[in-house]
Amino acid sequence: MTRFAIALMAAAPLFAQAPKPAVQLPIPTVSELKFPPLKPVQIPSVETVTLPNGMKVFLLEDHELPVIDGIARIRTGNLFDPPDKIGLATITGMTMRTGGTRAKEGDQLDRDLENIAASVESTIDETSGTVSFSALKENTDAVLAAFHDVLTQPGFREDKIELAKNELRGSIARRNDDAHGIAEREFANIVYGRDNPYGWQLEIPTVNRITRADIVAFYQRYFFPANVMLAVWGDFNAADMKAKLTQLFADWSVTQPPVPAFPPVRQAAHPGIYVGVKPDVAQTFFVLGQLGGVLRDKDYAALDVMSDILGGGFRSRLFQRVRTRMGDAYEIEADWGANYDHPGLFRIAGSTKSASTVETIRAIREEVERIRTSEVTDSELNTAKQTVLNSLVFAFDTKSKTLGRLLTYEYFGYPKDFIAQYQKAVAAVTKADVLRVAKERLNPDNFTIVAVGNPKDFAQPLDTLKIPVKDIDLTIPGVPR
Amino acid sequence: MSRLRLFVVLLLLPGLLPAQILKEFEKKVTEFTLPNGLHFIIAERHEAPVVSFHTYVNAGSVDDPSGATGIAHMFEHMAFKGTESIGTTNWPEERKALDAIEAAYDRLDAEQAKGPRANSAQLSLLSNQLQAAIEKAESYVVPNEYPRIIEENGGVGMNASTGYDATQYFYSLPSNRIELWYLLESQRFLHPVFREFYKERDVVQEENRMRVESSPQGKLIEDFVATAFAAHPYRNPPGGWPSDVANLRVRDAQAFYAKYYAPANIVIAIVGDVNPAEARRLADRYFGPLPKRPAPPLLHTLEPPQPGPKTAVVYSPSQPLLVVGYKRPDERDKDDPVFDIVSEILSGGRTGLLYRSLVQEKQVALEAEAADTFPDGKYPNLFLLFVAPALGHSVEENRKALGEVLDQLRARPVDEQTLHRVKTKARADVIRRLDNNAGIAALLTANYAAYGDWRKLFTSLDDLDKVTAADVQRVARKYFVAPSETIAYTQAPTAPAQENGQAATAAGARQ
Repeated sequence: MTRFAIALMAAAPLFAQAPKPAVQLPIPTVSELKFPPLKPVQIPSVETVTLPNGMKVFLLEDHELPVIDGIARIRTGNLFDPPDKIGLATITGMTMRTGGTRAKEGDQLDRDLENIAASVESTIDETSGTVSFSALKENTDAVLAAFHDVLTQPGFREDKIELAKNELRGSIARRNDDAHGIAEREFANIVYGRDNPYGWQLEIPTVNRITRADIVAFYQRYFFPANVMLAVWGDFNAADMKAKLTQLFADWSVTQPPVPAFPPVRQAAHPGIYVGVKPDVAQTFFVLGQLGGVLRDKDYAALDVMSDILGGGFRSRLFQRVRTRMGDAYEIEADWGANYDHPGLFRIAGSTKSASTVETIRAIREEVERIRTSEVTDSELNTAKQTVLNSLVFAFDTKSKTLGRLLTYEYFGYPKDFIAQYQKAVAAVTKADVLRVAKERLNPDNFTIVAVGNPKDFAQPLDTLKIPVKDIDLTIPGVPR
Repeated sequence: MSRLRLFVVLLLLPGLLPAQILKEFEKKVTEFTLPNGLHFIIAERHEAPVVSFHTYVNAGSVDDPSGATGIAHMFEHMAFKGTESIGTTNWPEERKALDAIEAAYDRLDAEQAKGPRANSAQLSLLSNQLQAAIEKAESYVVPNEYPRIIEENGGVGMNASTGYDATQYFYSLPSNRIELWYLLESQRFLHPVFREFYKERDVVQEENRMRVESSPQGKLIEDFVATAFAAHPYRNPPGGWPSDVANLRVRDAQAFYAKYYAPANIVIAIVGDVNPAEARRLADRYFGPLPKRPAPPLLHTLEPPQPGPKTAVVYSPSQPLLVVGYKRPDERDKDDPVFDIVSEILSGGRTGLLYRSLVQEKQVALEAEAADTFPDGKYPNLFLLFVAPALGHSVEENRKALGEVLDQLRARPVDEQTLHRVKTKARADVIRRLDNNAGIAALLTANYAAYGDWRKLFTSLDDLDKVTAADVQRVARKYFVAPSETIAYTQAPTAPAQENGQAATAAGARQ
């Protein structure tokens, strides 16, 4: 009834009534404000069921809007690309959807789905494949049928394979047009090493070699029910949906041996300054860093707090110094890159006008040294912890976030309450922890430093940093310069 | 109660009508205007204990004065510098130090204004004095205290944006901290302080170097817009021209604030776990003290009729990019919904004509998109087409292919299935946008500012529904014509002039 009454008031606009003059209360300071305790977060219950064919399904009812969404996560990834056909996983992910299904050409599928404002999309990234769908509730059956067909009976028609290769060749040819993109890409490739799946990249010749037979074989190896997790959320009844999905996927029973583990990351340092020359930019885009870690690392919370104090927001040391005090950057950030399954990248990244390149890199290195050699202040630690703990509620502000997190934990074999464990670990971090992990884990002598820009405009040459300088070859095989 | 039930039932019916979506949503909304003219829109969503805030100031870079372009953006940056009590160790002393900076800067400016008679030793002395004054003022600053408080209290999505038409400030907080937002937001607009102005001016210049000067697309768009508009301030980049920005002064920011940050020129949306009565009480308390001020002056400059097609060529070593624009009326024009439909027909999803023709069939483009309104909508603007040619395919081939698609729109009415498809999509899009507080808050303020009523977010669907195939053809014929066309593309500096006499449109080329 309350909500109804408000509706009536809105219909007769409130602002028509002149408010009575209020006595002006004094404005408090921030520290005088008292906040009531936060209302408890409603954590929705997710129903989990394994279909007879082995597919694991997660269902979450959410009746706020008349829509339905789903995402299937498949254990595969471009880490399984063969070295001479880099791009195979990517093209498979693109053409599963665009190449149509056994029954329907891709263009027909486009029209049928868009006629009802629905979508089915597929993609394969580094460590997983996904097939997702979305529709208004009224079109649940139609979108599920299309989703089923794309997942289980993709057609991989030749014309769309050619189209996908064209698109990839076009994007490879454009990969040096964005200096920021070059810096991030080269940093990752150098730190992981260019001779393995974590550090190699698509090239026009490797894309050209990919055939339909390769794509079909890749699909068949990884797309089988026991290798799929499906999450569905939205406006439906969970019991009905369970029945529907059981029936829909009853015809899919292929089996394959379990998918092997992803290849390990090689632990090797690649110290030095690597320079990409890009004459048409006004800034140097830089990334400094090294291998990071994994989320299940016992020191992850301390490392996260450490990188947050170093470069995690307006209040961070790098932001204060390089942006606010020096006025030398708009973007400057540090991040302890932790992944679920393999070491991510610890990176400090930003951009500065060409002239201030060396002074900026020098300032960053000094800040890294400072956090490795002296304790952070109580106030820094407190702010970093409060920031994490107070914003945690936003990890639960939509039901789909809760479901997405659960699916990710399950996919990478993490405990269901990982976020609660993380919260507890953050609350327990001390100044000594921050100093210890910075000292133990950051190795600035071995940092890889990538700088992309116009060295001729640097106010001081890079070799004043007394670090070996190497050039990055930005040639793109198969594209005329 | 029966009415309430009825809405719920209707919501589940297929083919949902806009009026029904609106009625359902309206129940969550309360709005009020303070005596000083500041308008609030409150939308309740109690799914989670979080709340999003969105402040929409109806002034943007179009309101930058000549010679001080970039000041709207500069003010936006200053709004994070704190208040008289936040971000300072000693406001009375800091204030004196800030005044001393301006006095020193005035002396330097006065000497510089002597031109050839300026004394270089004097200039260097005054410049050192200015630097010393800046450093003195910095000694009172607690840097980034204002954003630190927001972050420490769990604020997420904190940012601001300066567009051509508007400046927007936004973030979300856990809902037990709503009063913190009231305090921080009201104080920064009640008592703006201009601390660290000249350091921040450096930061803003770095931002422009990053977004525009180091980006082929940024450079192309900047020159494209400056070519298309001869008189209207849409021609100026939203971040300002570099030489203007390098010389912005505190008094420019103060003047801009005084003129455009009148309460009646601002609308605020609060969406999430919020009690409307409490929201009203806090609004009176915190925003009530903002003095009522006259509404900002109207912008009189109208873009004169375009005398003929225009072309701009931007040298770049990058792979080519092409943009084409056609002059169109503002967002309140009766043809506005037709442009929405046309842009969906051209580039909505995989069935869009541009994707199908340029990307799938001819394979001359990697990407081909349309935008119904560019660079912004309050004033007459451009219908935009953007193309990234495929490897080995030229700008000229893509121009031709674009022309063929537009010819098709002009030659015959679109089929009913296509029209139905884009209308269905528009309706589904509105429903989908109602799933997050921050997005809803942005939409409510933007619709209120543009149309005087947030309900336009929903009733615009009725306008779209009325668009016919004949309207689409009529609009294509009326607006997509050579004299209102502007073309811009990138080209390698060494390449010869485009083949096929494209440069022959030089009649309208920019000098």
